[in-house]
Amino acid sequence: MSTAQFVPLRFNWKTGLLAPGLLLVTSSAVFAHNIEKHFKVEPRSVVTIHNPNGKVVVKAWTKSEVMVIATHASDKVEVDAEQTGNRVDVMTHQISDSISPDDLRADYQINVPEDAELQIHDDSGQVSVANVLGDMNVETVGAGVDLEDAAGYLTVRTVGGSFQCIRCAGRLEVSSISGSFKLLSLRSYHVHAQTSKGNILFDGEFLPNGIYRLKNYSGVIEVHFSPGDSFDLSATSLKGKVNSQASLTPPAHAHPVYSKFGNAILGTFNAGHAKVELSSFDGTINILKRE
Amino acid sequence: MATVNCKDFQGRFELPEDSPRSSSPGDLSVQAHLRDCPSCRSFIEDLGKIRAAAAQLLASDPEPPARIWFSLRAELEKEGLIRDTPSKTPSKSWVRELFSGRFTALPRPVLAGGYLAALLAIAFGLSGPINSRINRQRWLDGTQSSTEPLSAQLTSAEKASFSSFPASESPVTASLHQNLEIVDNYISLCENSVREEPENELAREYLYEAYQQKADLLAQLNEQ
Repeated sequence: MSTAQFVPLRFNWKTGLLAPGLLLVTSSAVFAHNIEKHFKVEPRSVVTIHNPNGKVVVKAWTKSEVMVIATHASDKVEVDAEQTGNRVDVMTHQISDSISPDDLRADYQINVPEDAELQIHDDSGQVSVANVLGDMNVETVGAGVDLEDAAGYLTVRTVGGSFQCIRCAGRLEVSSISGSFKLLSLRSYHVHAQTSKGNILFDGEFLPNGIYRLKNYSGVIEVHFSPGDSFDLSATSLKGKVNSQASLTPPAHAHPVYSKFGNAILGTFNAGHAKVELSSFDGTINILKRE
Repeated sequence: MATVNCKDFQGRFELPEDSPRSSSPGDLSVQAHLRDCPSCRSFIEDLGKIRAAAAQLLASDPEPPARIWFSLRAELEKEGLIRDTPSKTPSKSWVRELFSGRFTALPRPVLAGGYLAALLAIAFGLSGPINSRINRQRWLDGTQSSTEPLSAQLTSAEKASFSSFPASESPVTASLHQNLEIVDNYISLCENSVREEPENELAREYLYEAYQQKADLLAQLNEQ
């Protein structure tokens, strides 16, 4: 097991003495603790990040190593980064009993190999991941999560944080209480997105044999489709409205529950290769033609 | 004694008050036809069964809804079988009157048909709402028996969580509380929806998921 070797704090005393006004303005940056560490890894490495508060930015690169750059302002926290086999664990932890939420803040910039698996926990702040193709598990409370060009098995769980996924592929499972979701240019064969109070926007491909389940209690579920798409649709809102611009072939067998309770639109668009299930308690569901 | 054919028999036979098997004592030719003709015997037996069943229904409590009588009467009037204006407030006495000789002027097959229609209408009118009520109650009982322990457990866990929280809240804890309120609100909405439509499995599904979300949130609160 290797332990973190921190790059020393870079503090320019001359600048501080010559420009006291500037020093006051940028005092938090000047006293920030900067940490940089590199770990050589094998293919399919695992990187875990546990950060109570702050920004976590992860990007893939072509090197077979993990680079961690961390910044934190307070002396009451420290950042650990250590390697065990092919796993790198990064963690912010408090070293003082009395600590304010702001003291807990640490920001990370992490570069990983493309095939790395990520496990990220960030209560508040923001999580951004780009170009990582390994499996990913992200859990937050208030932090928003942005994924770009991700693949693999993606599971995202927030309490109030929003979620955005652009050009994601693979399998996606995302849940939240009050966060909204934007799933754009998606190429996933399995999407399960559930939020209670948030909106869900799906603008992606419906792959053959793909399953797409979007669910909320209130808010708007909006799904865009193209004339060439092929899916079986089931859209139900118990207390709200369902609007569809898709010309559907009615199902051979009516579903008594859907037709008896709430508002429902069921049917097949083209050959019905994918399965699309949209449901809401009292929200609105819109199925719209892509512009 | 004159020969009585089936048509004459149905016109002349009178169903006695207490027994459907005997006719008016004086009409021997009618009685002879009844004895010899299996078809008319079967007809009279059916008529007797219908009357017995009707009497049983009349004696049963609760009284069929007024709309049954209105629709029956409207149907008979539409068929041109009766012409009287119905009473504004139907009652048992009106019903008894209806079945106790008001239609004696009508041909017997028509009367039998009327009885049968009445029976069917009453049976249909009563069975639907009763079955529906029983089903709803069963669903409600089933849902309550599964959700009440859950709800109680969650309430107790919530109390325990709140009592262990420090006085000052971090933004994360505040966010968890805020979202807990959202989930509580959905639980309340779903519970109302399930009470209104206990057989609605989608509403139940939403309720169970809201409970699950609350449990998850309480667990996260405890981790803070």
